[in-house]
Amino acid sequence: MKTKHIFIVFILVALVQLIVPAQMILNKESVIKQGVAYKFKTQPVDPNDPFRGKYIVLNFDIRSFKTSDSLWTRNDPVYVYLKTDSLGFATIDNVSKVELESSKKDFFIAKVDHYSSYTDKVHIDLPFNRYYMEETKAYKAEVAVRDAQRDTLPNNTYALVYVKAGETVLNDVVINEISIKDYVEEANDE
Amino acid sequence: MNSKIQNDIKELVSKQVITPEIALNIETYYTEKHSGSPNRLFTLFAIFGSALIGMGIILILAHNWDDLPRAIKTLFAFLSLVIGQCLVGYTILKKKGTAWKEASGTFLFFAVGSSIALVSQIYNIPGDLSSYLLAWVLLCAPLVYIVKSNVLGLLHIVFSTYYAIVYGYSFLSASNTPWLYLILIFMILPYYALLLKHKRNANITSIFNWILPLSLVVVLGTFFTQNDEIGFLMYFTLFGLLYNIGKLPFFNNQKLRRNGYVILGSLGTILILLTLSFEEIAGDVFEKNIFVNSQDMSISIILFILTMAILIYSHLKKWTVNYNLFRYVFVIFTAMFFISYRYNIMPALLVNMLVLALGVMVVKTGVDKFHFGISNYGMLIIVSLIFCRFFDTDISFILRGLLFVAVGIGFFLTNYIMLKKQKNLKNKV
Repeated sequence: MKTKHIFIVFILVALVQLIVPAQMILNKESVIKQGVAYKFKTQPVDPNDPFRGKYIVLNFDIRSFKTSDSLWTRNDPVYVYLKTDSLGFATIDNVSKVELESSKKDFFIAKVDHYSSYTDKVHIDLPFNRYYMEETKAYKAEVAVRDAQRDTLPNNTYALVYVKAGETVLNDVVINEISIKDYVEEANDE
Repeated sequence: MNSKIQNDIKELVSKQVITPEIALNIETYYTEKHSGSPNRLFTLFAIFGSALIGMGIILILAHNWDDLPRAIKTLFAFLSLVIGQCLVGYTILKKKGTAWKEASGTFLFFAVGSSIALVSQIYNIPGDLSSYLLAWVLLCAPLVYIVKSNVLGLLHIVFSTYYAIVYGYSFLSASNTPWLYLILIFMILPYYALLLKHKRNANITSIFNWILPLSLVVVLGTFFTQNDEIGFLMYFTLFGLLYNIGKLPFFNNQKLRRNGYVILGSLGTILILLTLSFEEIAGDVFEKNIFVNSQDMSISIILFILTMAILIYSHLKKWTVNYNLFRYVFVIFTAMFFISYRYNIMPALLVNMLVLALGVMVVKTGVDKFHFGISNYGMLIIVSLIFCRFFDTDISFILRGLLFVAVGIGFFLTNYIMLKKQKNLKNKV
């Protein structure tokens, strides 16, 4: 093959290498710009990823939903429809194996974790349970949240998630109405 | 040039074995022969340099600078990627040499990794480590062929293996089978074939000869589903396959240390047999009912057919003149898996006999070839077998002691006789 041809193929590969991350960015930006923001009550814990650094895993209060359908397979997609409770936090309105054309409610696509026939509940893997943080802050965040829950009202920590047509972007984690990044710094200063 | 050769030449000239003219010729020959090596060293440093810089960038970005606005972080995500692409593009257009190809390719590989890592940090994309690694390897796979870089080929295998390990060996949730790993490995095979064809004696090819079978051995365990017992059969057939590949004349005619297939195949075979030589373990493994319909079984069958095909092909080509039990032992082992035993001790007894036969055979091969490494490896097999038997038998201490002394004497004698034979042969020549 001539250099020219090799170079053309290389340009194509290079384009794909650029388009993949760019597409990810555009996709997520459109969810943030046009999506609806929901608050999910949560608790963070702090693990580590060798390439992407420290993050906190969020354990959400809404992780399961009571349903009459008992045939759920692990890792299958599940459409989760949302509503807001009286305090302004997100709760599950309905779950479905297919997209409900008639529903006007916001939804996102998650994965089935398992179905418990004992409680008749389907448990869901939420697709926004990782929040990357600066490495010095991740562990402190976990501690800060634990402390915050001890001395104030229970469950004052929530994740701010934008939802648009099945897609989600986790934009921030908020403790006592302060972003967790700033909260950790303030807790440090005290 | 090697200082030893220089000293030898001086000595030969002083003893008037060669004329100064010939000495000069020899020196020029060696200088010309080695003129390529500084370049090779430079290539090596360039690869390490760019790999370190690339990984450094990934680590620096993994700090997650949350004071920086999103736009600047996004810019960084693309900056190193574009720099890497420009370097590789320049290398292709200007037809640069090996050092450029390998170094720019390596840098671009890590730049791709850092850019997708940074995007998933910025938007908190949850995708676990395995899907991140998969995207990374797939985005870089075509580069191996475009840049024709050996390091990219190795990185492809290493990161595919990493992906399969993360995806397949999960300790908490149900295990997954990394089928995509097979596709990733198939993608690199044409490149490996080219290396074998054009650079069969190059060092890089022998690295491939090691890393490819090693990757298969590491990953095979992820293909287990439920029964551990059949895992022994899967691994045993894989080692049989590797050994038979390594015994193809193409690999077998090379130096043993270049032949990862034979060494891994042989070591794996012996290790499994030694494990199963314990009566309790063998009883468990060989007595279990086997689910014929399982994924584990299908994989064992595929591996068996592949190994059989190579064996039959070798027979037709008359490459199997010297009888070598290692090549056929997988057939015996598979048969043992499906026989039902009247006495519990039977399977362990058979395995012990197999190990002993293999050990004796290796010693014989070593002696025939005057290869001390092989003959001592054979004796090591026999010693390990005896050692294992000391744990689960009630032989009296006197007998055990005598056995050890006997084997020790055997070690000395074999090596001594071989040394003597070698000397005699040299004297005759």
